[in-house]
Amino acid sequence: MQIIIYISLAFMLIFCIMAIMSRSILKSAVFLALASAMLGVIMFVIGAVWAAVIEVSACSGLVTVIFISSISLSKMKKEDIEKRYEDKKRMAYLPFILIISGIAFISAAILSRDFALTSIAQNAGEDFREIFWNTRQADILGQIITILAGGIAVFVLFRDERVTR
Amino acid sequence: MEIFNFETCMLFIGFLMIIAGCYCMIRTYHMLKIIIGVEVAMKAVTMFLILAGYVNGHIGLSQAYVITAIVIEVIVAVVFAGVTIGLYKKYGNMDIRNLTQLKG
Repeated sequence: MQIIIYISLAFMLIFCIMAIMSRSILKSAVFLALASAMLGVIMFVIGAVWAAVIEVSACSGLVTVIFISSISLSKMKKEDIEKRYEDKKRMAYLPFILIISGIAFISAAILSRDFALTSIAQNAGEDFREIFWNTRQADILGQIITILAGGIAVFVLFRDERVTR
Repeated sequence: MEIFNFETCMLFIGFLMIIAGCYCMIRTYHMLKIIIGVEVAMKAVTMFLILAGYVNGHIGLSQAYVITAIVIEVIVAVVFAGVTIGLYKKYGNMDIRNLTQLKG
């Protein structure tokens, strides 16, 4: 089972880097959706089934649709985008930074003793629905307020300008 | 080696994803690319929350937090996308350097 987590982690990091370094925004959105799907797989294997379902449906589905809608509303050519933003040149150092950071993390972990993170407790067998609906009711209220605030913000951004007489 | 179990690997890869997301946010001028950087960093945070729940044996509680984080992530993406479209309608591109010219 652990091999699935290792493979998904590797693919998630690769897809995230490709989403950042890709010249086309459309490809970036697709790679981000794939990274979300890989995170959903990891969550499912670990045992966070409900979070995995919401991750895949909301982050991998809804956010991708929002991105692609935004991209389709703009009509800039690929050459113009590359010329204006120079993302290929500006993002060129990312792999080197990640390699150096990775080596630094691994070196620090090897040099320090007792770094290894292991699960110290068995899964308590909590019922997610019980916690979500009864224990964390304030979170639900916060989520509802956040969704309403987001809806109002989008309404304000997209409303037509008032016609002045 | 004991150090390379999957929990530690998740920690390392999460840190690398946060670095990649922050680098993307700092270096680009494209508004949608900035949202992608935010999303990449948020994915790492989501993974950390699940990892914390798994390590401590409270996976149910961590799922409740993760769902809250996902809702916030989606709302941030929606509002940023709305701002991006507004920027494109006004200036014809999605360059954040245009935001300095806004008035009122």
